[in-house]
Amino acid sequence: MMGPAPAGEQLCGAIGEPEVMEPALEGTGKEGKKASSRKRTLAEPPAKGLLQPVKLSRAELYKEPTNEELNHLRETEILFHSSLLRLQVEELLKEVRLSEKKKDRIDAFLREVNQRVVRVPSVPETEEILQDKDGLNQRYFRKRALYLAHLAHHLAQDPLFGSVCFSYTNGCHLKPSLLLRPRGKDERLVTVRLHPCPPPDFFRPCRLLPTKNNVRSAWYRGQSPAGDGSPEPPTPHYNTWVLQDTALESHLQLLSTMLGSAQGLKDGVALLKVWLRQRELDKGQGGFTGFLVSMLVVFLVSTHKIHTTMSGYQVLRSVLQFLATTDLTVNGISLCLSSDPSLPALADFHQAFSVVFLDSSGRLNLCADVTASTYHQGWSLLWLQVQYEARLSMTLLDSRADDGFQLLLMTPKPMIRAFDHVLHLHPLSRLQAACHRLKLWPELQDNGGDYVSAALGPLTTLLEQGLGTRLKLLAHSRPPVPEWGISQDPPKHKDSGSLTLGLLLRPEGLTSVLELGPEADQPEAAKFRQFWGFRSELRRFQDGAIREAVVWEAASMSQKRLIPHQVVTHLLALHTDIPETCVHYVGGPLDALIQGLKQTSSTGEEALAVAVCCYDDLSRLLWGLEGLPLTVSAVQGAHPVLRYTEVFPPTPVRPASSFYEPLQERSSLLPRLDKPCPAYVEPMTVVCHLEGSGQWPQDAEAVQRVRAAFQLRLAELLTQQHGLQCRATATHTDVLKDGFVFRIRVAYQREPQILKEVQSPEGMISLRDTPASLRLERDTRQLPLLTSALHGLQQQHPAFSGVARLAKRWVRAQLLGEDFTDESLDLVAAALFLHPEPFTPPSSPQVGFLRFLYLVSTFDWKNNPLIVNLNNELTVEEQVEIRSGFLAARTQLPVMVIVTPQDRKHSVWTQDGPSAQILQQLVVLAAEALPMLEKQLMDPQGPGDIRTVFRPPLDIYDVLIRLSPRHIPRHRQAVDSPAASFCRGLLSQPGPSSLMPVLGYDPPQLYLMQLREAFGDLALFFYDQHGGEVIGVLWKPTSFQPQPFKASSTKGRMVMSRGGELVMVPNVEAILEDFAVLGEGLVQTVEARSERWTV
Amino acid sequence: SISKKKKRSGHPSPPISFPAIPIKFSEKQQASHYLYVRAHGVRQGTKSTWPQKRTLFVLNVPPYCTEVSDRVRLHLKKTQKTPKISRTWWHTPGFQVAYVVFQKPSGVSAALALKGPLLVSTESHPVKSGIHKWISDYADSIPDPEALRVEVDTFMEAYDQKIAEEEAKAKEEEGVPDKEGWVKVTRRGRRPVLPRTEAASLRVLERERRKRARKELLNFYAWQHRESKMEHLAQLRKKFEEDKQRIELLRAQRKFRPY
Repeated sequence: MMGPAPAGEQLCGAIGEPEVMEPALEGTGKEGKKASSRKRTLAEPPAKGLLQPVKLSRAELYKEPTNEELNHLRETEILFHSSLLRLQVEELLKEVRLSEKKKDRIDAFLREVNQRVVRVPSVPETEEILQDKDGLNQRYFRKRALYLAHLAHHLAQDPLFGSVCFSYTNGCHLKPSLLLRPRGKDERLVTVRLHPCPPPDFFRPCRLLPTKNNVRSAWYRGQSPAGDGSPEPPTPHYNTWVLQDTALESHLQLLSTMLGSAQGLKDGVALLKVWLRQRELDKGQGGFTGFLVSMLVVFLVSTHKIHTTMSGYQVLRSVLQFLATTDLTVNGISLCLSSDPSLPALADFHQAFSVVFLDSSGRLNLCADVTASTYHQGWSLLWLQVQYEARLSMTLLDSRADDGFQLLLMTPKPMIRAFDHVLHLHPLSRLQAACHRLKLWPELQDNGGDYVSAALGPLTTLLEQGLGTRLKLLAHSRPPVPEWGISQDPPKHKDSGSLTLGLLLRPEGLTSVLELGPEADQPEAAKFRQFWGFRSELRRFQDGAIREAVVWEAASMSQKRLIPHQVVTHLLALHTDIPETCVHYVGGPLDALIQGLKQTSSTGEEALAVAVCCYDDLSRLLWGLEGLPLTVSAVQGAHPVLRYTEVFPPTPVRPASSFYEPLQERSSLLPRLDKPCPAYVEPMTVVCHLEGSGQWPQDAEAVQRVRAAFQLRLAELLTQQHGLQCRATATHTDVLKDGFVFRIRVAYQREPQILKEVQSPEGMISLRDTPASLRLERDTRQLPLLTSALHGLQQQHPAFSGVARLAKRWVRAQLLGEDFTDESLDLVAAALFLHPEPFTPPSSPQVGFLRFLYLVSTFDWKNNPLIVNLNNELTVEEQVEIRSGFLAARTQLPVMVIVTPQDRKHSVWTQDGPSAQILQQLVVLAAEALPMLEKQLMDPQGPGDIRTVFRPPLDIYDVLIRLSPRHIPRHRQAVDSPAASFCRGLLSQPGPSSLMPVLGYDPPQLYLMQLREAFGDLALFFYDQHGGEVIGVLWKPTSFQPQPFKASSTKGRMVMSRGGELVMVPNVEAILEDFAVLGEGLVQTVEARSERWTV
Repeated sequence: SISKKKKRSGHPSPPISFPAIPIKFSEKQQASHYLYVRAHGVRQGTKSTWPQKRTLFVLNVPPYCTEVSDRVRLHLKKTQKTPKISRTWWHTPGFQVAYVVFQKPSGVSAALALKGPLLVSTESHPVKSGIHKWISDYADSIPDPEALRVEVDTFMEAYDQKIAEEEAKAKEEEGVPDKEGWVKVTRRGRRPVLPRTEAASLRVLERERRKRARKELLNFYAWQHRESKMEHLAQLRKKFEEDKQRIELLRAQRKFRPY
């Protein structure tokens, strides 16, 4: 056996074999020139999942159109936005539509079921079971359940069925239905639900109007309603449930006559169902079901807002338009055409239900269950959410975005990823007490004792009122009640998991710690006091007014973001007796990962602001500097701190002189051998442009010297005029100011151009990019622009900083940080805010981070550029142009392409990485982390160990190099931050030392640089710069292939005899020892973990 | 496995033209790297910076070995007088290539016969690595502003002088016809001309193009109308083909399953 073992583990193979996977991206472009491969690429158009620029001949493009073609084009334009959308919709419908084959199998099964049900022995006729007054006191429902149990008992013995069990119809616990599934391979194909129904005219409709009572207090509670003689409370929900059964058949008939014959309508309903399901709007009890939306289509057809000739897409659009613009809580709608005066008025229904949509009988509110409770008129969480989503979707459709289809129909919006914070109420039995506390007797009576449904409305109304301006939208979610076997007891209310609420926050509302109440002498003051309880205090304000007010404790931005937590726990405890221990609020568990040392109360935004403020001061000093031969024309930040995206913000450095070796003649401190590594101080880069002038030489070498002279002069002047400690080199000047260190780089605007100038033999001067000119442009032009744009983004979206930093923290924790530039990850995070569709911009780091993981794990980098439209500078046309330019140039572009208005072609921040393998590895890790983290956050018992998804998998590496914490300056930043670490030579108060602190000294980084220089072509090295204690090493399998002896490739190899031939193989044993030698003092152990390298 | 045994038992055998000399960082290390050495020689006629016959060509010098000649010298002490020290690097740091120049050709043959293992760091001659090295590197990296100032001044003096000379020469030639009677027009003359750059000539072309475009009538003649319609159709067709390709790709990835 020769050569390294074939990559058994997929992951290792993916990382270590650049040459193997590269062709996937490059193959078609470079090889395309050869005739043989051209034939191949033509034969299989989307070769290896890569899009190609379209090549149509002139003849094909400009031939005379046929009538058929013209018709197709016209139809596409009228019925769909674009041909792409049309094709996409057609493909989606193919996926969700039932095939004819399956339909036949289902029909056959239905016929069988029908025969079996008819033959069940001793089933009495319904008339014999039901009696006149069965509408009262749940008698009908109990008989219905008994009837179903009888059926179940017989059908369960039939070999036709693979499973026979119960579930609740739409979660209503009074109405079980029987689920039948075929035995054998079709078991998962179809589930038949048996709903027993009374004869259509069995119950007198007038007794089931929403104002009527059909559950007597004397029966339900064993007593008459409070105070003798007062009327029985109406039971609108109960009445609706009875009516639903009587109307079931007529509804089905209506749907099949109205929709059955028009393909466009059926398609539209299918699309709407997908739309609802991606948004989880149809989920659980009282959801916005597919049935409801089908009836809505029927309504729109009957009012001529939808025509039977419309396409599925147009139907979807019309319904969304209707939902977005019509408020059914104010103006209910009805399918009833009759003008019978005996029918109840819409207003009667609005009295009982918030959302009103009557069926064709005029007596049944189809949206009855969408209303959680009768407690608060005109208030339905679900309806608000449906309307909100419809509006978002309409905006999206109107923007004519290229990926509208993807965002509208293909992107799931689970609650945890859609809402900034979520909270779980657990255990649910607590709500029973809450119902008693809130005196919800009539609601319980109406809901047949379902205390969760009864309490939901009042509870959410309370929270909505309390959260006020902090809240944009509140939504709820209840896990569906599970099915149960026919011999088991049905699940109880308390068993149905937890009630989860989602909070969409309003960032501008999150800045205030104050709830301002009315003036003390106003009559509303008492109400305010009653609502906030003991948290309400009298306060005197600056304008002299004395008001009731609530003040929350929150100093930092992260604490302010969590004020909703305080509000919720306080109000629930105060008004509903739900203790804090039952409220599992999930808003900030990830904050811990970006909190600095000893700063558990802040996620760093404040510390970053202090550094930015110091930078502002410095730039003022630079502007006002006297004695510079040229004036300063611009001062620009060019460091992550200055755009609020540095994972761990800098703190002012106050060195303890005894910890260092002073180098007095250069006013600098040096690290000492006998001490642990000093604190890591990274200078913050600032670009200082000097005005253009004839004094600048026009020669690259000379420009460098003039710049060096400026750097020296800057240092002198800042020391003389402002007493700042400075240190100049040929390329920069380091300045110590208030404990922060800035690295000022003098820039001359024309220098990149000078570097580009090439003179042709004819004397024509042309400009050609060179590596040096590109680097200079990137550092002095593009980086400052990006920094200022993202600084602006932070002012608009306060959560940006947290999201970008969490994202970077995670990527680095996975040991992949060095393959992605800081800027590229910041831009991905910015994309979440600038292009949030189908969501809205995140208002919490948590939700932003989840969306980051989703984006990374689903984005098709091969075929798409990630366009980050900073400041909204790119027009729709320009974006189209960028996309087609991207396809044409794909093979010359990096694997990950990020486009901004300032960088439309080159993707400068991803030029040097990642490689296709590393990107793939990140995608895989994100795809694993996302569901794991979401499951943790959605666990009502609490998220458990939140750091799990941040810990990197180490079993994929061939060698692990463990480092000594003594020499890891950022040890405390580790994901699992050590309880104790070494002293890093800092004082808590400013000390006497004014010498320049040790800058940029990070032994693990120096070590890695040496490792990569020496062994870069044999192995890849992975490390977490934030306090990682281990370096992962992967051997490159291709480098382990025995090679013939060549003078140029001896590096680290040795010659061996193989079957009489002399070949070169890596000298692994010596290399492993080299690892220890190069990192002497830093390296604790070198563990070779796999034998893959054995040759 | 068999391969493993082979490795353990068989001492690596060097190619005949390149003898291998084992080298280790210090006594503590178990395994050695191998320096592959031979006398430096070039084909006749080609120039070489290194003296023929007296130069030893060394491959695979480990990264921590910064003074290969020192190592070789130490081991040759007994037989040779101090060899002349020279070395150069081929590649970026890491494993390197060295040229060791001896005073006499016999030094090369003695080196070729070395058995080793050579030690890079010894008690009498320790070599810094790891933390030691990084701390001393850091100290060395602290810039000396005075040295920088001197360098800048020296360079700029020479540069200014060069420029002044060029200017003077250009002034002298200004307006003076050469042998064939041509007068050179420069930017410094009384009537400066446009600099001859690519950007400038592109600008001129663009201006011309725009001037012409303004004069043209759009959609005026029937044939123009027809053509612009046809152009639109061609665009639609192209877009349609692109879309179909995109759909094909997504379908292959089963990207149309909504959940």
